[in-house]
Amino acid sequence: MEHPPLPAAPKPPPTLATRLLGFLSGLGLATVLLVLLGLLTWLATLEQIDSGLHHTLRKYFDWRAWYLIPELGGKTVPLPLPGGYWVCALLALNLTLGGLLRWRRDWQRTGVLIAHLGIIYLLVAGAVAHHFSQRGHMLIAEGAASDAAEDYFEQVVEVAEVKDDKPAAIQVIGGKYLTDLTDAASRRVRLPALPFDVELSAYLPNAEVKALASGASPAGVAVIDGYYLLAKAAELNAEANTPACVARIVGRDGRNSEPFLLSSTARQPFSVRSDGRVFTVLLRKRLWLMPFSVRLDKFTAEFYPGTMKPSKYVSNITRSESGRDAKAVIQMNEPMRYANLTFYQASYQQLGQGPSARMASVFEVVRNPADKWPQYSLYVVTFGLLVHFITKLAGFIQDRPRPAQHD
Amino acid sequence: MTDPSSNTGRKIAAALVLAGLAAVFFNLVAVTRPSGELRTIKDYTPWSAATLAVAETLPVQDGGRIKPLATYAGFNMLAIHGARSLTVAGNDGKPLTLTPAAWLLDTLFRPHFAVEHPTFRVDNSAVLEAIGAKPRGKRDRYSYLDLEPGLDKLVELAAAYEQLDSKQRDALQQQILDLAYNVRDFESLLGQLDFARSGVVIGSEPNQQRIDISTVMTKAPKIREDIATAQREGKTERGPAEFLYQESAQAANLAMRGMNIFPPAAATERSWPSAGALIMSVLTGASPTPEPAIRDITTLEKTARALDAGEAEFLTELSALRDELTQRAGARGEGRHLALEAGYNRADWFLNAFVVFFIGALCAVAMWMAGAGRAGRILARTTLGCALGGLALCVIAIVERCLIMQRAPVGNLYDTIIFISAAGVLLALVIEGFTRRRFALGLAPILGTLLVFLSRRYEMGDPKDHLDPLVAVLASNFWLTIHVITITLGYAAGLLCALLSTLYILMRGLRLDRADGELRRILSVAVYGMVCLTLFLSLVGTVLGGIWANDSWGRFWGWDPKENGALLIVIWTLVILHARLGGFLKEWGLHFASAFTACVVVFSWWHVNFLGVGLHNYGFTAGKNVLWTFYLAMLGLIAFGTIAKWLESRRS
Repeated sequence: MEHPPLPAAPKPPPTLATRLLGFLSGLGLATVLLVLLGLLTWLATLEQIDSGLHHTLRKYFDWRAWYLIPELGGKTVPLPLPGGYWVCALLALNLTLGGLLRWRRDWQRTGVLIAHLGIIYLLVAGAVAHHFSQRGHMLIAEGAASDAAEDYFEQVVEVAEVKDDKPAAIQVIGGKYLTDLTDAASRRVRLPALPFDVELSAYLPNAEVKALASGASPAGVAVIDGYYLLAKAAELNAEANTPACVARIVGRDGRNSEPFLLSSTARQPFSVRSDGRVFTVLLRKRLWLMPFSVRLDKFTAEFYPGTMKPSKYVSNITRSESGRDAKAVIQMNEPMRYANLTFYQASYQQLGQGPSARMASVFEVVRNPADKWPQYSLYVVTFGLLVHFITKLAGFIQDRPRPAQHD
Repeated sequence: MTDPSSNTGRKIAAALVLAGLAAVFFNLVAVTRPSGELRTIKDYTPWSAATLAVAETLPVQDGGRIKPLATYAGFNMLAIHGARSLTVAGNDGKPLTLTPAAWLLDTLFRPHFAVEHPTFRVDNSAVLEAIGAKPRGKRDRYSYLDLEPGLDKLVELAAAYEQLDSKQRDALQQQILDLAYNVRDFESLLGQLDFARSGVVIGSEPNQQRIDISTVMTKAPKIREDIATAQREGKTERGPAEFLYQESAQAANLAMRGMNIFPPAAATERSWPSAGALIMSVLTGASPTPEPAIRDITTLEKTARALDAGEAEFLTELSALRDELTQRAGARGEGRHLALEAGYNRADWFLNAFVVFFIGALCAVAMWMAGAGRAGRILARTTLGCALGGLALCVIAIVERCLIMQRAPVGNLYDTIIFISAAGVLLALVIEGFTRRRFALGLAPILGTLLVFLSRRYEMGDPKDHLDPLVAVLASNFWLTIHVITITLGYAAGLLCALLSTLYILMRGLRLDRADGELRRILSVAVYGMVCLTLFLSLVGTVLGGIWANDSWGRFWGWDPKENGALLIVIWTLVILHARLGGFLKEWGLHFASAFTACVVVFSWWHVNFLGVGLHNYGFTAGKNVLWTFYLAMLGLIAFGTIAKWLESRRS
């Protein structure tokens, strides 16, 4: 007697974790994230025309930007979008899970998995560069030397004691203690190494110091010694912003100085006397000390004959470290890499006029722990895609219809 | 039985493609041909072929490199005249077509004819009205003599408009300014050899005497001494020495700009001087060894005056001048590719490629109409022959350009167009090799026609010598070379997959494919493959660009619009592939998305250059409307496909 076949055991319903894994690794999520990334990239490309690159990047791709409202041509586009950083982070997770899961089911997708890993490596490289790289520029005149690069954007307050006519024991108040001091906010920054603290307020990212004599100050703006800070619209090129703020010395004995203005355009630092000692207070871009000094021996700018089209910029430098000198050449497309720092030939300037004019070279200085990672990721991605596409092409050639079937 | 709606659709499609091709053809021809009547120039005689051949290879330093006069003349003529040929009539009334070299020879050596040539292209008659000259028809050309009554006003207006920011100028103001620059450049060429023909005239009638500039140069030390003596003695009246000096300096001034044709003797001196610079260097005493300069000016005077004795004599002198200058350039290791470049100009490879592609495109339409019979086979072979022929011409031209430039084929926007033309046609033929359905075969010459047309229009709009050397940051970097070539190939692949999908949508939407499921499947597979190739090339190209930027500027990614554009292509192709893999895009959807790739590619390739920001900003604005028309056309196509899809689903 034959027994009827037993019905297959019903599949257990997927658990919440399985469903979540399915969602996070799904092609649907990948597609949506890619569309969002494309949209963000496109909008950021257009928005930087009116808002400048620095501002646009902070708005679209900074990790602190959870969401954003785009603006085109100065008009708001009523389309809230997630921040690009988090779209990329989620995409990296999706790529990892999706690649692994699909590869587990079908080994022929090895090429795709390799390519996914390469892209993840690239995204990680971007994140590492975003969080840990440092950049600045160094301007050196011919014959002069420098051991410090200047940050492109971060403005800091430097407080130093003047000893033997030189600043000593420099205390630096970082930009993050300044930039949130808009409106009526103020902050007292404690400086234990000094006989006083500093109170900062009324920070303006781009401002001009105006004399009261040139016109009345806007309502609500503090006038100090006949001067006030006039806010200006942010420059498209954020490097050109000239921030300013109001500062005050707060003595340990509770006696406070009168407030004074700090501006990045000031030619001289503000001087303070305390306990018979002289201190200076200065708002400037952060200086970044190098582990060696660089002297510009010679700068050469060559142009194609009969034109002002540059053909070559070459800086001959001497690098000095612990009493040892080493010669090096930095030129366009050929940077100097040393001690995890890279010096690029960025531009040049002529300092002064007439016979006393000197040429100066501007180097971009970068420290990026992920410097070569994109290059390595490219090798991985290229290899992965080649494996995948060759597999696919081979399949297509095998399956394609016979030639000459027109008749 | 043949579906009648399919036949109707086929005719509509053929008519559409033919109308498009006709528009391309007439657009190219119309903008280069003046609309006015043929100008007759009294006693005009054309230059002999031998004279032109010698003139074309005369070396000139311009744009930072040594080039043959033919190239120099071609771009000057293109900028001023809007075309590389000019037609006039002699006494017999027969039309004579002047090449750039002939036009420049007239301008330099026969200015009395040159001022009558209809050289200046003025598209807007309001420009003529504004300067007080007599307007003619639209797209007409004007001679220097036609413009002469309004030249003072032109200079006055141009001086005012030059002060305005370029964004604030309206179209008329910009056109007036452009005309003023063209007149200035033409006058500079026109007066270039005045000194050689006339010298300095002293005395008054009937005792006038002509002194050659070369003679004045020989006596320059004495002249300077006499002037110094006169100044020491406090003489206020202009003496003969001062007169000679000032007249010669004035003549030199006219020859100062433009024609830098004299290779310097000193190897360390990289700039070639013009005749004016040579004269001034001797007059002012700046040159410690005046003899070579005096010899050069004497040769030039001899050449200019030889024309009085007839063209044969002129040819002899011009040949001697050319040989001398070429030999001196060669001794400096310069001008090695003059003959090659002159040949490149003469061959006009891209125009020939356009003609061949155009014939191929017509054959392709006929081939699709003819179907699978004998006529279809013959037409397919002709189409293939034209596609291969056009491709060969493009490849020859690109290789010659590489040899002349001594660099990789892609370095500027013009290079990308011609490179994409060749790459696009080649890819289309490769796809045909796999699919064998005469679909990609027909696309190859059509794509070639459109892109070569684009290159010629671009060259007219931006009449600069695109063979000139690149700026320092773009020169000599391995990663940059590979990056640019790869990304450009990615553009070609992206455009081709969009074109394949465009035809798919039209074909299926107009029911031309007789619901041939196999044909549709093959096309979808081909498009999918092209999307994969686009992704591969764009991704690798983009990352290579980042590697180059990291090597050159210290940052892998700078969010420059051009970089973002390339990234957008990568992201869009990834969207297509993931959506297809996930089943979100079926066959229609795949082709809609693939057709939209053209918008993404065009944004990256062209549109970002108009944004006015970033390192790849070329600073031009003309042609922006064409881009919007293109986007609208592609979106219109997708809308058409959507309606067709809906109708199809209703029918089934």
